Amino acid sequence: MTRSNYNILSARFGRPDGHLLSVYEAEGGYKALRMALTMQPAEIRDVVKEAGLRGRGGAGFPTGVKWGFVPEGSEEVYFFVNADESEPGTFKDRFCLDYDPHQTLEGTIISCFAVQAKLAFIYIRGEFGWLVDRCQAAVDEAYAAGYLGKNILGSGFDLDVIVHKGAGAYICGEETGLINSVEGLKGQPKIKPPFPAVSGFLDKPTIVNNVESVASIPWIINNGSEAYKKFGTEKSCGTKLWSVSGPVKKPGVYEVPLGMPFKEFFHDYLEGMVEGEELKAVIVGGSSVPVLPADEIMSCNLDYESLMNAGTMLGSGGMIVIPESSDMVELIQVLMHFYFDESCGQCTPCREGTGWLHKIVKKLRRGEGTAADIDLLGHVCDGMAGLTICPLSDAAVMPMRSFIDKFRPEFEALIQETAPAEPVSRWPRGEQE
Amino acid sequence: MAKLTIDGKEIEVPDGTSLFDACGKARGEALPHFCYHPDLSIAGVCRLCQVEVEGMPKLTIACNTTVRDGMVVHTRNERVTKASTQILEMHLINHPVDCPICDQAGECGLQNQYMSHGLYESKVEMEAKVNKGKAEVIGPYVILDQERCVLCSRCVRFCLEVTGTGEMGIFNRGDRAEIGTAPGVELDNNYSMNTVDICPVGALTSRDFRFQKRVWMLKAASSVCPGCATGCNVRIDHAAGRVYRLKPRYNPEVNGRWMCDMGRMTYKAVLEENRLGDPVSAGQTGNWAGVSGAVADLGTKDGFGLIIGSPHQSLEEMQLLKLLAGDSPVHGGLAGADRSEKDALLLDADRTPNRKGLTLMGIDQGDGAALAATIKGVSGPVLIHGGDPAADLAVAESLGAKSVVYLGTHNNATAALAAVVLPGAMWAEKAGIFINRDGRLQEFKQSVARHGNAREDWRILAELMKVTGKESAPGSLKAVRTELNAVIGGDADLNKLPERGFVPGGEVR
Repeated sequence: MTRSNYNILSARFGRPDGHLLSVYEAEGGYKALRMALTMQPAEIRDVVKEAGLRGRGGAGFPTGVKWGFVPEGSEEVYFFVNADESEPGTFKDRFCLDYDPHQTLEGTIISCFAVQAKLAFIYIRGEFGWLVDRCQAAVDEAYAAGYLGKNILGSGFDLDVIVHKGAGAYICGEETGLINSVEGLKGQPKIKPPFPAVSGFLDKPTIVNNVESVASIPWIINNGSEAYKKFGTEKSCGTKLWSVSGPVKKPGVYEVPLGMPFKEFFHDYLEGMVEGEELKAVIVGGSSVPVLPADEIMSCNLDYESLMNAGTMLGSGGMIVIPESSDMVELIQVLMHFYFDESCGQCTPCREGTGWLHKIVKKLRRGEGTAADIDLLGHVCDGMAGLTICPLSDAAVMPMRSFIDKFRPEFEALIQETAPAEPVSRWPRGEQE
Repeated sequence: MAKLTIDGKEIEVPDGTSLFDACGKARGEALPHFCYHPDLSIAGVCRLCQVEVEGMPKLTIACNTTVRDGMVVHTRNERVTKASTQILEMHLINHPVDCPICDQAGECGLQNQYMSHGLYESKVEMEAKVNKGKAEVIGPYVILDQERCVLCSRCVRFCLEVTGTGEMGIFNRGDRAEIGTAPGVELDNNYSMNTVDICPVGALTSRDFRFQKRVWMLKAASSVCPGCATGCNVRIDHAAGRVYRLKPRYNPEVNGRWMCDMGRMTYKAVLEENRLGDPVSAGQTGNWAGVSGAVADLGTKDGFGLIIGSPHQSLEEMQLLKLLAGDSPVHGGLAGADRSEKDALLLDADRTPNRKGLTLMGIDQGDGAALAATIKGVSGPVLIHGGDPAADLAVAESLGAKSVVYLGTHNNATAALAAVVLPGAMWAEKAGIFINRDGRLQEFKQSVARHGNAREDWRILAELMKVTGKESAPGSLKAVRTELNAVIGGDADLNKLPERGFVPGGEVR
């Protein structure tokens, strides 16, 4: 539930009837589509580019620029809405689709027109079963109203939308993993280059955009890029959805302009920690970004650049608030189990590294670890970072490294002082015979 | 052409060349790799061929990079070496390191690369390894040791892209990922053993070769598969006079890097129990000293009345049969007996290696009935070289009235009815030339000693020429080939055949 004054994305959040076409239309829905269909596709791309909209799935790549990578004159282009929201701590896209599917759908149709795609897929995370029904209902309404299908609103533009349910693999949220999954292949990323904008689904140019990015499009078309840029900072434009979990007084999904100081967000929106808890740390952009201790996050602003300068990333906006009472080693074990479990197993460093990290952390928590094991965690991270097809490996390394960097004493406290620094031979001298 | 600098060395390669190949050329050895294979699509999963390209922030894998003019590449600097060393460590952490009992030891990519840039000190305790299956039979010729697999996916891509049969896949994910076949599916296609060749580790091994010989004890001889008319280029791996296996030898004009499973099993005939090891005359095992007399006693002073050859024999031997026959007819044996099903890749319906040789030498071919009629129509002793024409009942019956000299390798129906049996050499035990279905002349070389007291066929035929009063019996195989040069014409030089064979009058494909 959102509690904010900003409603580019969250106007209908929390309303029981917000998902209905009639409500959406009554509040100005599909006006942007009518306007877009009178524009040139290139014009729409320019507006989105000028608005400075950056991909909200995690990478933050400018959406309009991505659209521009589709080779000029491509006959067959596909568009995917990435609703495989699986990043631990992130639950914003499901709000968009649950409360306001038509806004995302309108954004989808405009985006498809901009890249001249004739077929779009809304790829929904397997665990979000009810969202499939919700989106399908919206798609059915849109077909009936003439917003989808042949010759949309008399413009001559055709578009079909397929709601596709994933099977619940985190890696299918990676855009090429998602494409593989829809192609009926094993859900694992494709090797790049070629990038999907050039050769993706069925080896044709394909654009994959996050739900929140797509949902921002109708507002940008209605109000123009200048209006959008009034929100946010110079390089981080617009508003962002933050999904906040942890023992704060008011967890939930919030829409605020990029660049808001964390301190303000924490006190004014989240209303601080619940009674008896102190803030220890925050994972600000979903589990895959480095953790920041309380004092560091308190001096950050919530935009791409500030967080980057602080040594972390805005990521998906999945904010995990960690209280003093949390055991950081236990937390990292949970995260390492996640990446170990979700690694597709394709690239060796990730396949072997995620499992290895998980084993070492478990060993430390059993009280069997040595000082060398903490260094070994760093060594394994070195062998994983930046060496794989997709960023899942880095996504495991970033929290792992930062947890050690920022909370090393908690790791060291688990080492028994009597434990030898070097592992002893399994066959000590004299026992071999 | 693109000019690039690799490890400080300038090289020029054609546009579109893979950086992997360019690096291999500049370094004089390939980059470390498991998943890259020149005949398969790029998987990019082993991550070993990382290089640093100046101007790119991250290391990049060379196999999925195309050269660009002006590229400056580092393959051996500290950053690259650290990365590849660590990635190799990752490959090994869940590997059983059971080299002492692994068949791949000695020709193992993991072993070789570990020796060149391993870390040498394990950081993983044995108990902490992921355990996977051992010695799973996945097909008639292939066995899978799951725990040794590095998941390079070469076998999977081979079955998808080369045979199109798709038996293999990678199941499960993360470090639980395993290669395997789908439930109820066996790795059973004509080319299944190629997966053993391309497996860079000991995960896929040959059920036939497994535990037979340590590979470093094997010697190699280049040869040609005698299994069908395709004439796949092979390497005979042998030790102490025994053939252990056939492996495909690269020839882009014929078989590329592959060969069929049936072809690989042709060596079994060399080892068979019923090989002919000594000359036999009138049912009595004798020696070579008595052969001339025994053959002469059959009334061959003026030559043979008929000679029956075979498409299994070498071109040189066919030439000698012609010389030996003089005016008498030479027949090519049973033409139809060695045909079976062909497939779309390499295996030919004609399961003989040198039928084109018979054609070139102008030797008649026909079915059993025709051969039986020919036999009845001639007078004088009959020489049969190779094959087993008496397996055909009509031929056997017509031969019953004749004095037969059989020069062959196995104790079969023809040997049983021959008056004189002369033990010849199998293809692995002698040198010669086959002409494949495309007219390509290809040389095979001797790899192992002949069985028992068997002799090279050309020597035996030269001896028979002397017995039958023919002049100009050749003194060497080289001399036979020199004579054949004139038969083939053009610029043919059979004594200097190129490694990839020679097609008279130009390339056929």
